[in-house]
Amino acid sequence: METKHVQHLFHRAGFGILPSKLLSLSKMSRKNVVTGLVPKTKKFQKLQLELSGMEAMVKDATKGRLSKPQRKELQRLSREKLKEYNAAWIHRLVHTQEPFREKMTLFWANIFVCRDNHIFHAQQFNNILREHALGHLGDFLKAVAKAPSMSKYLNNRQNIKEKPNENFARELLELFTLGEGNYSEQDIKEAARAFSGWSFRPNGDFYLRQKKHDYGSKTFLGERGNFDGDDIINIILKQPQCARYICKKVYRYFVHPEINEDHLKEMEGVFYGSYDIAKLMQHVFMSDWFYEKEQHGSKIKSPIELLVGIQKIVPIHFMKKKQQLYLQRIMGQVLLYPPNVAGWKQNRNWIDGNTLLFRMKLASVLLNDAVIQVSEKGEFEDSFEAYYANTRKRGKKLNIERDWSIFSQEYVSLDRQSLRSYLIQAQIDKDTLLFLDTLTQLENKEYMVQLMSIPEYQLC
Amino acid sequence: MKRRKFIQQSSLASGALFVPHFLKAVEKDGTALTGTSEKRLVIIQLSGGNDGLNTIIPYTNDIYYRSRPKIAIPSTDVLKVTDNLGFHTSLKPLMGLYDKGYLTILNNVGYPNPDRSHFRSTDIWHTASKSNEYLTTGWIGRYLEEYGKKAFTAIEVDDSLSLMLKGEHTNGIATKNAKLLFNNVNTPYFKKILNKQTDQHLSEHNLGYLYKTMIEARSSAKYIYETSRTTQSKKDYPDNPFGKQLKTTAEFINSGLATKVYYVSMGGFDTHANQLGAQSRLLEIYGKAMAIFLDDLEQNGSLDDTIIMTFSEFGRRVGENASKGTDHGTANQVFIMGSQLKKAGFYNQGPDLLTLDNNQDLTYTVDFRSIYATLLERWLGVPQENILRSSFTTLDFI
Repeated sequence: METKHVQHLFHRAGFGILPSKLLSLSKMSRKNVVTGLVPKTKKFQKLQLELSGMEAMVKDATKGRLSKPQRKELQRLSREKLKEYNAAWIHRLVHTQEPFREKMTLFWANIFVCRDNHIFHAQQFNNILREHALGHLGDFLKAVAKAPSMSKYLNNRQNIKEKPNENFARELLELFTLGEGNYSEQDIKEAARAFSGWSFRPNGDFYLRQKKHDYGSKTFLGERGNFDGDDIINIILKQPQCARYICKKVYRYFVHPEINEDHLKEMEGVFYGSYDIAKLMQHVFMSDWFYEKEQHGSKIKSPIELLVGIQKIVPIHFMKKKQQLYLQRIMGQVLLYPPNVAGWKQNRNWIDGNTLLFRMKLASVLLNDAVIQVSEKGEFEDSFEAYYANTRKRGKKLNIERDWSIFSQEYVSLDRQSLRSYLIQAQIDKDTLLFLDTLTQLENKEYMVQLMSIPEYQLC
Repeated sequence: MKRRKFIQQSSLASGALFVPHFLKAVEKDGTALTGTSEKRLVIIQLSGGNDGLNTIIPYTNDIYYRSRPKIAIPSTDVLKVTDNLGFHTSLKPLMGLYDKGYLTILNNVGYPNPDRSHFRSTDIWHTASKSNEYLTTGWIGRYLEEYGKKAFTAIEVDDSLSLMLKGEHTNGIATKNAKLLFNNVNTPYFKKILNKQTDQHLSEHNLGYLYKTMIEARSSAKYIYETSRTTQSKKDYPDNPFGKQLKTTAEFINSGLATKVYYVSMGGFDTHANQLGAQSRLLEIYGKAMAIFLDDLEQNGSLDDTIIMTFSEFGRRVGENASKGTDHGTANQVFIMGSQLKKAGFYNQGPDLLTLDNNQDLTYTVDFRSIYATLLERWLGVPQENILRSSFTTLDFI
């Protein structure tokens, strides 16, 4: 496999690749490299915090044994833990042995979008994404539909036969599977009835509140029967539009922001019916068109891709976890805190003058102690003082520790051109290249920071 | 005209800033700016959801007092302005504006199927979407795309840009310190990168978009800084961050920046607990700063061309909660301020507490997008359709 192709593959299917691994994989065939990406077993490593200290409290809470201040304290603790989980997730992205599964997990987190302050449920949901990321779409949807976090986020818990709540049914069709215009308002109503009574136990297990479930006959997308939620999902999967909708998302995320209709058709053909996600991805990565030049560096990195990409070379330990949250907030993507059920908008939507200036400075901030000049906005829930409190923090350096060992092993003695080609996916602008050539005095460390600060580094 | 010469003559890009060929059109637009209208709009968000019922108080309404045994404002404390409505005492500074005919209050502003999440409802107000619709651009971003083109056409007086000011290809710019922003795009490194840009080999794809955004940010930062650097407000704004934001806004406006829209958000209004003291302080901060702001603009001859709209993403529930606060609600007031108001005072009736929705919340009678439509058509002088993606009845307040 061509070196450039391996590099492209690993930027899309992961967060980059180290030079030594790149060289060894370049000696292999495309088939072997792609097969090697896909996990061999269904086993995966859950992402979990140590929460034993909270378990008793949660149990008491569900039994109604906590006073109001205690419940408040539990909620506060849970929100704190969620921030830790954010850091743990980023740590996982940087250090994982299964970058492809993690990249897929990140992808799905922006399709089946959910937000939950309940740390136990949030973890459960996150691991559902991880478990099914390369599995069967139908199983995946059914697991998502039954997850407590989703049930709360889209009000399915309030969906009872006497008074159906359509929120989950609507987003299932509009945002998770078919897209607007491929179902009627009546389909939403009927689907909502099928999901009525779907609830969960305090331990997070699904359970059907039989008295609240509507067992009656429903007509959904032209079929008639006493459907429940699983049946609704099965009927959705029968629609070729469902395969098309998901393939479009995959194409924009993994191949190119603009759809090529021929490539899409091919993917739909592979995906429809089997709904085998791993098979679909393997097909994409085996296709010649995936490696065409126009795909290289065609995507604007998400803030997380940017943050993780830098850390793949120089892992960073944040002494204050708040500071990594701050970086995410300023760039517009805080993991576990999506803006709404439609998720982050991606590609050019990441970029405005302010975010771009910050993103181009990120490498200096992380690797060179550059001072941060901007402060994040306060939160809606903040008091007046708290809302503006961050302003005072402006002009500070991050409190971090860097691990230069990977850099020292892999990058420090590379020649200029190799360093450049390993770091930059896009074709570098000619004038910028001229500028880079003037930087003859720099050590590789500084040269790398410069490379990470050019607009081309924003692309992958 | 030689390119170099053109650039030197352009008011926006003095010095040796070279611009890739395909971007020339972008740079040129800057000289044409935003058409003939000199009018500008300042938008203020009371972030967190201000409690409208304790802001403009229905002091003769029994239901109001029954629903809020602990936190209703006693009628004796109300600054009464009509037979049944009056201001919170902290808003005394606004009374002056009210008496001068510089304030219009629109009651019960909201939208169908209200969303009670801060995030979502703010998105809805920022994008002018329906409540079940997710848009990627803000209403001011879309205005900018059609009419201003340059980033400085819409400034958020803060460090990061909100959805309201984001367009599909063009965005506004955020700054609360023009010098700092200017310095950020004038680092030796930034200069070097951009000064090397001499030709047209940039693609129209994402890389070209990045370079265009960089160049645009730099030229806007330079324009804002160089235009506004010598203007300093002589007014004594309250010494708090909101006062500072408004002072900066006034300096931008009074310096003659060609900016059409300013956006400022003031935080702290999510008063779930012990609301009385907290809200009283917030309204005092808001009222004082606003009165000085209008005064500042008026004395500098800028007020006749400025309209200020204040909104909150939602109002709060009619009934108080158990923590002497209020939870997220629905319809709320919008304040319009300026010297060119057609209908000053109360534009419409206060809230009808007898006819609540099925969640026991206020029902809206004015769609917020009607206000946007009015500001676009009657103030900024542009048709609403492309920006609001629909047509709303304009209102008679300007």
